[in-house]
Amino acid sequence: MSKVLYVVDSNEKKKYQYNITEDTIIYHFSINSSCEVDINLVTEGVTLYYYYNNINYDNNRFSIKVTHLKNHTHSELFNHGVNVGLKKLDYYVDGIVPKTSSECVCNQENQIINLKNGKSTICPILLIDNYDVDSNHGAYIGKFSEDKLFYLMSRGLTFEEANRLLLNGFLINMDSVDLNEIRLFIEEIEKI
Amino acid sequence: MLEIKNIRCSIIDDDTPILENLSLTIHDGEVHAIMGPNGAGKSTLAKAIMGHYKYQITAGDICIDEESILHLTVDERAKKGLFLCMQDPTVIEGVSNSEFLRTARGSITGEKVNLYTFIKDMETAMKDVQLDSSMLHRSLNQGFSGGEKKKNEILQLKCLKPKYILLDELDSGLDVDSLRIVCDNINQYRHDNPDTSVLIITHYPRILEYLKPDYVHILKDGYIQKSGGIDLAFEVEESGYTNIHAASGDEKSE
Repeated sequence: MSKVLYVVDSNEKKKYQYNITEDTIIYHFSINSSCEVDINLVTEGVTLYYYYNNINYDNNRFSIKVTHLKNHTHSELFNHGVNVGLKKLDYYVDGIVPKTSSECVCNQENQIINLKNGKSTICPILLIDNYDVDSNHGAYIGKFSEDKLFYLMSRGLTFEEANRLLLNGFLINMDSVDLNEIRLFIEEIEKI
Repeated sequence: MLEIKNIRCSIIDDDTPILENLSLTIHDGEVHAIMGPNGAGKSTLAKAIMGHYKYQITAGDICIDEESILHLTVDERAKKGLFLCMQDPTVIEGVSNSEFLRTARGSITGEKVNLYTFIKDMETAMKDVQLDSSMLHRSLNQGFSGGEKKKNEILQLKCLKPKYILLDELDSGLDVDSLRIVCDNINQYRHDNPDTSVLIITHYPRILEYLKPDYVHILKDGYIQKSGGIDLAFEVEESGYTNIHAASGDEKSE
């Protein structure tokens, strides 16, 4: 059983620091905020799942650094953002495995959907100093796929209904999340 | 009645025609099958009827009950009763099957969907297509096997009750048992809704043995070169498309 943390921030600049000593899932929901997250995996064999979901209106930056300080540690980062307007949204996502940590898994997946023509950037960085590490990253910036919109609309959904479903699915895509913990974020999705 | 009138179809921003001078009339209650070699334009035809964003109709018309649908958006065509059962249904992460189907049914009927009725209907439909009920709560097509995706398309069909069904290679990725199940469901649907028209796109006669088309058409080089009954499908199976063409000559009509 993993430890579960919920973080919700709204219109603020925040810094978070975590030392992970047991298997942990962090659900981070962020509304128009800039955040700096620093995570150390400090116990051998621990696994971290980090889900960052973000709605952006102004110029904001999200940076997260995960450092694997022990052997057999495992991190999975899923960073999803919707840039609503024309402002800047930047993601800096660092995964670090020093030479002293072996057989680690360090993965990250980053996506930003621009609803208009906002300027979004993703900088995925993997600093891997050991040969036996399993590490992957993915980054996508753009609109919702036209194939997905076509599929939904071919079943009778209007463009707006299809976009709404895709938006909800993109920003709350974890079955295990407790919706009561993120009421504020859900209300914000409705406003987009 | 679904009418395709002498259409010319190409990819957006590319004038090279994929379909040209293609005409086909499907009366209410009829089942038509289109066969043809790879790249003949069979799937393009199905997508163009549905209004896919990659294709443009630059000549001719497509009509439902004598009204052109070319100016309609994809969702408006669906509301006219069109349903495209896709060859490779799109995976949509984060959107549950149930949420999607309920929204779609509300859009098609224009009425608020009662949750209890919806769940009862879906439970029955899922039993019919032999899909596990847990699939209803999973993300749309995510992690589904080839067979489950096709069964899920038929589940959607049963939920949305279309009048014009376009089956784009329904048989691809289906084992014999699954093919029988989906075809039995389509036949039952047609029995319950006798006005329903079906256009089957396929490479193989096996699906036609189950769905029993009234007409079989051979699509090649962008237009229908020959039409006939189900025997034409077996002729293709035996002789291939080249011989069919050489033996029959061109018949540029339905």
